[in-house]
Amino acid sequence: MMKIIVCIKQVPGTNEVKTDPETNTIIRENVPAIINPFDTYAIEEAVRIKERTGAFIYGISMGIPSAEDMLKEAVSLGIDKGILMTDRKFAGADTLATAYTLSKGIERIGEFDLIICGRQATDGDTAQVGPSLARTLNIAYATDISKIIEIKDNEIHCLKITDDGYEEILIKLPALITVVKEINMPRLPSIKSMKAARKSKIEIVEFDGIKADEKRTGLKGSPTQVRKVFVPLHEVNTTLIEGTLEEKAGKLSEILLNLRMEVE
Amino acid sequence: MDIKFNQIYGEYLRDESRQVGRAESIVFPKTEAEIINSVKEMSRKNIPITSQGARTGLAASAVPYGGHIINLSKMNKVTGARYDEKEDRFFLTVQPGVLLSDLRKYIANKSFVAAEWDKESINALKFMEKGRWFYSTDPTETSASMGGIASCNASGARSYKYGSARDHITGLRLVLADGDVLVLKRGQYLAKDDEFSLITEGGREIKGKLPKYKMPHVKKNTSGYYNKPGMDMIDLFIGSDGTLGIISEIEIELNKTFDVIWGLTIFMPDEDKALDLVRALRHEIKIADINLNINPSAIEFFSHKALKMLRDRQKTSAFSNIQELKDTCHTAVYIEIESDSNELVWAEVEKLGDVINALGGDEEETWVAYNPINLEKLHDFRHACPECVNLEIDQIKKLNAGITKLGTDMSVPDDKLKDVMKMYNEGMEENKLDGVIFGHIGNNHLHVNIIPKDMDEYEKGKELFLIWAEKIAAMGGAVSAEHGVGKLKVPFLKKMYTEEEINEMRKLKKIFDPSQILNRGTIFEYVEGQ
Repeated sequence: MMKIIVCIKQVPGTNEVKTDPETNTIIRENVPAIINPFDTYAIEEAVRIKERTGAFIYGISMGIPSAEDMLKEAVSLGIDKGILMTDRKFAGADTLATAYTLSKGIERIGEFDLIICGRQATDGDTAQVGPSLARTLNIAYATDISKIIEIKDNEIHCLKITDDGYEEILIKLPALITVVKEINMPRLPSIKSMKAARKSKIEIVEFDGIKADEKRTGLKGSPTQVRKVFVPLHEVNTTLIEGTLEEKAGKLSEILLNLRMEVE
Repeated sequence: MDIKFNQIYGEYLRDESRQVGRAESIVFPKTEAEIINSVKEMSRKNIPITSQGARTGLAASAVPYGGHIINLSKMNKVTGARYDEKEDRFFLTVQPGVLLSDLRKYIANKSFVAAEWDKESINALKFMEKGRWFYSTDPTETSASMGGIASCNASGARSYKYGSARDHITGLRLVLADGDVLVLKRGQYLAKDDEFSLITEGGREIKGKLPKYKMPHVKKNTSGYYNKPGMDMIDLFIGSDGTLGIISEIEIELNKTFDVIWGLTIFMPDEDKALDLVRALRHEIKIADINLNINPSAIEFFSHKALKMLRDRQKTSAFSNIQELKDTCHTAVYIEIESDSNELVWAEVEKLGDVINALGGDEEETWVAYNPINLEKLHDFRHACPECVNLEIDQIKKLNAGITKLGTDMSVPDDKLKDVMKMYNEGMEENKLDGVIFGHIGNNHLHVNIIPKDMDEYEKGKELFLIWAEKIAAMGGAVSAEHGVGKLKVPFLKKMYTEEEINEMRKLKKIFDPSQILNRGTIFEYVEGQ
């Protein structure tokens, strides 16, 4: 049976992330934590593969102890086993340290066929952990997958969305893919699946449970420093043209001609 | 300045009812003074006036039958706030053109354009910071205007718990037909039995007698003027479809937000089981000896045909982003639960699962949303239903221009739920009409939308609606629960009230608008000399 691993992150449950201008950190007050929306597509795709061909799905997350509930939610969505990597030594990790730590957690699972990650997390928005994890594990990867056409014993055939269209690609397994929201419509849990998930046991993995280099995890293993978080300025100047239709057309053509001269 | 009518303003002859009217001039006032000027001028010339908000109404209240249009969409400011410290109540004053969607955004972000606010209002905002608030009236169409919401006493899904617009309006400013202004605060003017007396800003006393007709015993009703001995007179104007005055300002009360809101869509194997589930949720019946303590803020319904329509439409791109419906999904009930704790809700949902199973359903056939993002998905799914109907009608309209939307808005008392569903289903079956049923089943208030294939079916549907209106009235129900009577439902109201009773309404209108220039043809026909 195929083994699929889905990487899942807990993020603030809102479409509008607000940051504290003084501390540059995300304001989490009054905002419930949820599964990173992109990861819900990863979970759904894994579950669809399971429904088609049979598979065992691991859901792995690195985070704070309360992320256990989030992994139970992932179980209610079709994950077979949740693993939470949580330890003070993992705290403050950037994408590099996160990928390293996750790779150590995945090594514990043993052999696998496919890792699916969401394209990016909605809080950090880097889209780096997926590719970085693949490099750390030394396996092939493809980002921005919008469709899995076929998955066979030793290869996966899929579509990658690009700025210009799609690329059709074949990757040898084991491999990692990151998925975009076009790939599916994630299902919601049912009362039945939630009842089962609540009874499920999430495996907790601490630093001592993995063979890791302490210098490469958490804050110590993170070369990235956030100096400033800000919303990029987006200035739009609006000129309202008034008058009769002829006057408006005249003024508009004047403006457009001037613009062309500026460009030239 | 009034604008003479030309094609550019064609859209102002229509509203969401898809009816098209006619008019000679239109004005877009930005202040109450501009409304007064326009009203005075028209009143002098005896030209009828139709007032409009966002024109999202379904009963054609905003569709003009000739004359002048006062469109209030440019009066779209939140003009102040008030906080009652003793009772911890928060109020906002809004102009009639403020859109519900904008209001919600302002409240959620606690962000208002307050440059012209007075000191009390700015002070009140500080108290707003302490808690989280929301405006509970939630018609499906969020581009509705606040003036429109007050005019038709709108409600929506959450009215099951929170009541309709009326229950949250605490103040009104109205420009009367002669240009004088009437200011009403809740609690200020109470009728003495059936006699009332109001003082206008101009110092004029308006005295009168309330009609004798009795309103139906239903939770949702906006069929004709609100009328009850000893009533608060502000209630007469709420839901009066703009026929007594033009609203220039509304004070609304906000509610405190709960930290935890869950939404559940429950698929039942047939309609009867779905209705039993609704009755269990309302604590009318007990299933398998399970003590269900659930108190939903909304109970909504999707008929088998409604789900089929959504499933068919899902295949097109317009609705590809709504939750995927399995072929086995038959009838659905949607509920929303508010609480302070997830664990409290879960304890009830767990029992609800057992109730569903005991009723012959399957707790696996449910969608549970307990975070804002997933809740929005369920809201989108719900909203897709009327949107889908509109698309279907638009398509049919291309072949038969005379066809407009055929949707009901009637409510009945609790014990008549199964009877009314039977009436709807049998009525459509006997007449071989295709239609979908959805809406606020918690209040026995369902929207039946007939999808006619041709003019013949359209006429049949219209006749059927009249028959239903008569039966609903006999059940003690209301022919319009939240859309208002407008112009489309004038014939329905006649099934609910006698000619004499409707004449009483007309008499009441003439106390405020003697020449009947405001929203002529709305609630009752305009008959010269009457």
